[in-house]
Amino acid sequence: MRKIRRYSLAAIIQIIVLIMASSPTRAEDPTTDGYVTRKEYDELKAQLLAMKKELDTLKKEREAGPKQEHTERQVVVGPHEVAPSQGEAVADTHKQVATEAPPPVVEAEGSLLGTTKFLLAGWAEAMYEQRNGSASTFSASLNPIFLWELTPKILFDGRLEIEPSGSGTNVNLVNAQISYLFNDYIAFGVGEFFSPSNVFVERFEPQWINKLPDRPIGVYQGVLPNISVGAQVRGGFPIGPTRVDYAFYVSNGPTLSTFNARTAGELDFSSYTDNNDDKAIGGRVGFLPIPGVEVGYGFETSRPGFQGTAFADLRALVQSVDLEVTRNSDLLKGRVNLFAQYAWSRVDHAVYDPDGSLGFGPLPLTAKRDGGYAAIAYRPTQLDIDLLRNFEMVFRWDHLSAEPSGLGDPSETRWTIGLDYWLSPSTVIKAAYEWDKPNGERNRNALFFQTAMGF
Amino acid sequence: MIRMLNRGLLAALLLLFISTSVNLFAGPKAKQKTAADSGSAASSDTYMGLTGEELWSNNCLRCHNIRPGTMYGNAQWDVIVHHMRLRANITGQEQRAIVEFLKSSK
Ligand code: HEC
Repeated sequence: MRKIRRYSLAAIIQIIVLIMASSPTRAEDPTTDGYVTRKEYDELKAQLLAMKKELDTLKKEREAGPKQEHTERQVVVGPHEVAPSQGEAVADTHKQVATEAPPPVVEAEGSLLGTTKFLLAGWAEAMYEQRNGSASTFSASLNPIFLWELTPKILFDGRLEIEPSGSGTNVNLVNAQISYLFNDYIAFGVGEFFSPSNVFVERFEPQWINKLPDRPIGVYQGVLPNISVGAQVRGGFPIGPTRVDYAFYVSNGPTLSTFNARTAGELDFSSYTDNNDDKAIGGRVGFLPIPGVEVGYGFETSRPGFQGTAFADLRALVQSVDLEVTRNSDLLKGRVNLFAQYAWSRVDHAVYDPDGSLGFGPLPLTAKRDGGYAAIAYRPTQLDIDLLRNFEMVFRWDHLSAEPSGLGDPSETRWTIGLDYWLSPSTVIKAAYEWDKPNGERNRNALFFQTAMGF
Repeated sequence: MIRMLNRGLLAALLLLFISTSVNLFAGPKAKQKTAADSGSAASSDTYMGLTGEELWSNNCLRCHNIRPGTMYGNAQWDVIVHHMRLRANITGQEQRAIVEFLKSSK
């Protein structure tokens, strides 16, 4: 509707311009005597024809325009801006209107479109897993990411994980954060966010990024925090040719397991709510000596015991070191990735089940646990053969120590090899085999196939 | 506690040593660019002597494969690089230079 008005306005303006352009000539021509000469007639006819042609093209564009614009606005809405590949015609329309119509029309259109920008991103994934000791299974998930840029400084990012499970569908809110860019080096975020010290969860977990079908053990199993509900401040700055980045946060802390013999002394990071007034404080500092190489140190300190119990004053400390390398090597004719993180946690000394009423105490313990992974990947990006360039090889070692009480899960070390084929920068087909033998237990070796597509 | 902190520090130093020695076998790609190459980068924005294209290739492939500039519209790139600034801890100047490059690389 708006468009139609815009075109009629353009047409009216043209007519006025034409009239204005033609009337002075007539008035100034001394030979007319009130009659129209052949020359004047021809001029007017030519102008009329040109105008008719122009109107026709405008009409045609009006028919083609709205459809394309509609599909595009479903994806993103921004002022004066058009996706170039899909919207050439629309872009042309914009240009033409901008030159032919008076400026207020264009400005009005900008404010009608609004300044908010919305993007629906995310990924989808499908997997087949055949693990020794478990029934083989297919699985799938959709992981939409909602991004709203309200102003150039304010962004909301939220992710859901939607997957079929049993006879229904599981929907998890993975993160939901409102962030504010304070200045060029400092950003604030509040809500539910990825724990900055858990590099895998924050950076490599999306299945179109992770080069193996499954996650390393340790990242979700009580050594490292993974998702935090709280507030964070983060940013980065260059120091000469090197750079430093940082993220510090305060959040609901982990919960100390005290009721169960197997898990006594373990930190449970999966609870989003806190069990006391003491909040966890943590962070990570990274140093990049050269582009594509980063080393980091992360920590989180908290009081994990339930308020009002004998465990309330215990302190827990988690620390980790990590290394991320992404480098192109002419020598190896390709790209090499090396991602590694090792974390260790410790809870102050305490006696669990002191009166034996739970059936496993008294159990005096300084609960300690550690785990981590190292993965190396190689993709021959500099080879001339397309087919080979799309392959990537990956190898991973990961480890998690036994549960601190010594009565639960034993320590576990796994070795995994994988071969990926990249169909596009964010579409990948993976095959992997994992050797997994928990201490003293039957092996749980596994074969995986997975396809993931990021969008 | 002190012993654990010491262990952390030691491990961090070890990693630092490994990370700097990585340079020996892998040459930085961005630095090898010829003058003609960087001349073709349409970006006018630079930061710390690096063009938008160099900042993009230094920062945007650290975690995942890069998607071409043509894949998204201008408004979409604004949102994405804002999102990625929070992930990658890049500075505001770098964010603007990278967005500029991505928009002009189409
Ligand atoms: C620190 C790791 C990291 C760096 C560096 C990084 N990304 Fe990302 N990128 C991610 C992760 C993780 C996702 C998945 C989305 C999420 O987790 O919220 C992602 C998603 C994306 C997406 C999909 C759309 C979206 O916003 O989710 C695009 C496009 C993208 N990144 C481009 C870039 C560009 C351009 C840069 C350089 C400025 C960059 N990335 C740097 C980790 C990174």
